[in-house]
Amino acid sequence: MYMILSLPGTDILTPWAFSKHLEYTWTRAAILTQFVQAGSESSPCELDQRTPLLSSHGSLCTQSFGGTYSGHSNATSPKNMGHGDHVVDQVARSLYVGYRNNATMDPAWFAAVETICMLNGCAMIHEALDTQIMKSYIWLQTVDGSIQQVEQEIAMFCPMICHEVIQKGMGSSKNYAISLPQQVNPAVLSLILDYCRFHQVPGRSNKERKSFDEKFIRMDTKRLCELTSAADSLQLKPLVDLTSRALARIIEGKAPEEIREIFHLPDDLTEEEKLEPLKNATDDPRIRLLNRLYAKKRKELKEREKLKNVEVDEELVDDRSVDDLLSFINGDDGDSKGIKTSKSKRKNRRRKDLLKSTSAHEATKNHNKESNGLNSVCRSAEVGQILPGVDATTNLQDVEDDIFPNKNEFDDGDIDDEIDPTLKEKIDREVEDFARRLNSDWPERMQEILSLGQEKKPVHLSLNGKGS
Amino acid sequence: MDDVMSRDLISDLPQSIIESILTRLPIRDAVRTSILSSKWRYKWATLTQLVFDEKCVILSNDRCKVEDGLVNFITRTLFLHQGPIHKFQLTTTHLQCCPDIDQWLLFLSRNDIKELVLELGEGEWFRVPSCLFNCKKLTRLDLFRCEFDPPPTFKGFLCLKSLNLHQVLVSPEAIESLISGCPLLESLALSYFDSLALTIRAPNLKFLCLEGEFKDICLENTPLLVAMSVAMYMTDDIAEHFEQSSTCNFNRFLGGVPRLERLIGHIYFTKFLSIGDDLGRLPITYAHLKVVELNQVSFEDMKEILVVLHLITNSPNLRELQISGSSNTLAAIDAPDLDFWEDECPSNCTFKQLRVVRMTDMSGVPHEMEFIKFLLANSPALETMSISPCVYVMDGRLNMLIELLRFRRASAQAEILFIQD
Repeated sequence: MYMILSLPGTDILTPWAFSKHLEYTWTRAAILTQFVQAGSESSPCELDQRTPLLSSHGSLCTQSFGGTYSGHSNATSPKNMGHGDHVVDQVARSLYVGYRNNATMDPAWFAAVETICMLNGCAMIHEALDTQIMKSYIWLQTVDGSIQQVEQEIAMFCPMICHEVIQKGMGSSKNYAISLPQQVNPAVLSLILDYCRFHQVPGRSNKERKSFDEKFIRMDTKRLCELTSAADSLQLKPLVDLTSRALARIIEGKAPEEIREIFHLPDDLTEEEKLEPLKNATDDPRIRLLNRLYAKKRKELKEREKLKNVEVDEELVDDRSVDDLLSFINGDDGDSKGIKTSKSKRKNRRRKDLLKSTSAHEATKNHNKESNGLNSVCRSAEVGQILPGVDATTNLQDVEDDIFPNKNEFDDGDIDDEIDPTLKEKIDREVEDFARRLNSDWPERMQEILSLGQEKKPVHLSLNGKGS
Repeated sequence: MDDVMSRDLISDLPQSIIESILTRLPIRDAVRTSILSSKWRYKWATLTQLVFDEKCVILSNDRCKVEDGLVNFITRTLFLHQGPIHKFQLTTTHLQCCPDIDQWLLFLSRNDIKELVLELGEGEWFRVPSCLFNCKKLTRLDLFRCEFDPPPTFKGFLCLKSLNLHQVLVSPEAIESLISGCPLLESLALSYFDSLALTIRAPNLKFLCLEGEFKDICLENTPLLVAMSVAMYMTDDIAEHFEQSSTCNFNRFLGGVPRLERLIGHIYFTKFLSIGDDLGRLPITYAHLKVVELNQVSFEDMKEILVVLHLITNSPNLRELQISGSSNTLAAIDAPDLDFWEDECPSNCTFKQLRVVRMTDMSGVPHEMEFIKFLLANSPALETMSISPCVYVMDGRLNMLIELLRFRRASAQAEILFIQD
C-alpha cells in the first residue's frame, strides 16, 4: 500500500517525493490527506470550521491511523479549496494536538504531520498551539537516565535539540526522549534551560540580556566549567561565549599557583620543565638565569653521555691538535682572525678567572661559553672534522666536571700566553670588579633553589640578577 | 595526590573552548598558562589570534627597556608558537622602526596570516617590507604610521576585505592600484593623507571612510556602497584647484552609489560637492538613504544649499537629517537670492519618512531659517526638529525663535526643540 499525499493548492506528491522530503520511509508515514479532504466532502467525519479542537478528533484520527490505512483510496484532487483549506487547517491542528496527547504515536508519523502543518501554514499551527491549554513539550533524557519534559520553544533554543527534533523526529514522547550528551547532568541542564528560557523571548533589549547574563554567570568555578562543557555539547554558542569570558576573567592576572588551586590542576611539571625556556613571560630575571642554568646542566648531561664513548687519549690528542691548529690559524691569519681570537681569548681568560675565584656570573659565563662554543665550532669547521666530543668539551660550562677545568686550563694555558699582558691585567681587574658587584646583589634564596636542583653544585655560586 | 573530589575541572574541555578562553586573556596571561600543568604546556601555542600591546611587558620609565622587553616577548612568542596565525595585532607607541618587525612579518607571511594590524609609534615611520605583499590570505590590513611601497609586480590582495591606512606614506597610484587590486574589498578607510587625488574602483565596497586633505575624489565604481563618512581638510591650494575645476563633483562622487544608506560629511564636504556645473542633470534616486549628516554647511553659499537640497529631495526614504551650519554671520545677513525659496525651490517634494531633524550651530541667518521652514512645511511624518544655536550668536536667538513660531508645520506631532547650550 502506499500513501498519496496531496496538499491543498499543490500538486500531488508521489510517495517517493514524500519520503525524500521527510527522510523517512514512506511506509511509516501515515498522513492521509484523503482523510482530510474527505472530511470536507463527506459528513460522517463531522469536520468543519466549527468543530472544536477536541481530543475526540485526536482519537478519531488515532483510530483511523491505527487501523487500516487504505481508508479512502480515492485520491481526490483538491477542489473547493476555500472551504477545504480551513478544514485542512483545522484537521491538521487537531492531528497535531491529537498526537501530542497520545504518547505512543510513532515519531515519524508526528514529524510527517508537522511537515504537513508547516506546509499548510505554519503560523496557524503555532497560533493554535498558543491558544491551547496544553503546550507542546519535548522530552529530554540526561546521562543519568532521568527523563523530563521541557517546553518546546525553550528546548528548541539549543541547536542540538532542535536538530534532533526536526531531522530525526525525536523528543516527542517519553519513549523517544532525546538523549543528551554525557556532559549534561540534570543540574546543569536546569541552568541551561534557565538561560534558554530568558533568551528565547524575542522582545528583550540588549541591556536586559546583558544584565541577565552578568547575574547568571555568578556561580562557583566547578559549575562554570561543567556549564561550559555542557553548553558546548549542545552547540549553544552564546552561552559558550559567555562562560568562556567568565573563565578568562577568572584566569586573568592570577599567579600560576592560584590558578592551579582554583581549577584543581595537578602541579605535574617537573622542575626542569618549568625551568625550560618556554617563555619568560614574567620577564623575571631569576627565571632567565634558571633557564640558562638548566641549559647548562643539560649540555653537561649530554656531554657526559658522549664522553663515555670517547677514549680519553683520543680526546687529549685531538684537543691538542685543535689548539695547535687554532693557534696556527690565528697566528697566520690577519687581523680579523686575530681580533676574534683575542676576543675569545679574553673570554676564555675571564672564564678561567671566574672559575678560579669561585664566584661566577652565570649569565656572562653562559654568554661567553655560547659564543666561545660558536667560535670554536666555526673554527673547527674550517679546520676539518673533529670529534664532536671535543667541541662539546669546549662548550662545557659546569664547574663540577673534573675534566672540564683541566681542559679549560689547558686551553687557556695555550692561549693565555698570547694575550697582551696589559690587556690581561685590565681584563682581570674588570672581572674582579664585576664579580664583586655581582656577589653583593643576589639573595641567598637563589642559592637555596640552586642547591635543590638536580645536581648539587659543590661550588658556592652567587648569581647576578642582571641579565647578560 | 588529588582525590576524586578535586578532579581537574578545566583541562579536558575541548580545545576550541580552551582557545576561546585563552583568546580572551591578554597574551601574557595566555602564555603563562604553559606552566600550569603538563596538559597546559602547549595549549596556548596553537592560538590563532595574537594581540600584543604594551601590557605585555612590565612598565617602566626606561623606554629602551620597555622596547627591548616588548621585542623579546613578541619574538619568543612567535618562535614558540605552533600552527597558523590568523590574526596579529601590535599596538604600541614605543616601537617605530625596528628590524625585528620585518622578521615578524616574514614569519607571519609564512603562517597564513589573515588579519594584520600594525599601530606603531611616532617618529621614523616603519617601512613595510616586501614580504607583506606575499601574504596571500590577508583579509584585513590596518597600518598606522608606516611607509607602504608595493613592488611593481604586486597585483593586490585577492582576499582583502578591510583596508585601513592611517598616516601612511604611499603614492596615490599605489593606493589606487591597491584598491582596484582587491576585488573583495568591503571596507576602506584612509586617513591623514596629504593632497591625495583618488579614483576609487571597488565593486564590492560597502563602507568608506575618508579623512584628510583630498585634492580630488571620484567614486568610479562603487555600486554597493552602503555607508560613507568623508572629512576633507582644505588647504589653500586645494581650494584653488577646486575653483578651476568644472566637472560636477556631486555626480562624480555621489553619482554611482544607489544603495547608499548612511552619508556623513564633515568639514568642507558640501563645498566639495558644490563645485562644478550640471548639478541635477543626472537623475539619481537614493532609495535607501536613511541617515544624512552634513557638517559645516555654509548657508551663505547658494551652491552648497543647492547641494543639500538636491541630496535630500532625491532621497525619498530619508529618516534622519542632521546639519550643522558654519555661516559667516555678517556675510550671510544680507542674503542674496532669498527669492529662491519662493520661486525656484522644488515645492512638490515631500519628505514622507523624515522623522528626526537636527540643526546645530545655527546662526539664524535668512537662508538657514528658510531651509528650516522648507523642511517643516514638507515633512508630514516629522517627530522632532531640534535646533541648537551657534554659541556666538546671543542676540539673534530671540529673533530666531520668533521666526520659528511662525513656520507652518506639515506634521502635527512635530516637536520643535530649541536647545540652549
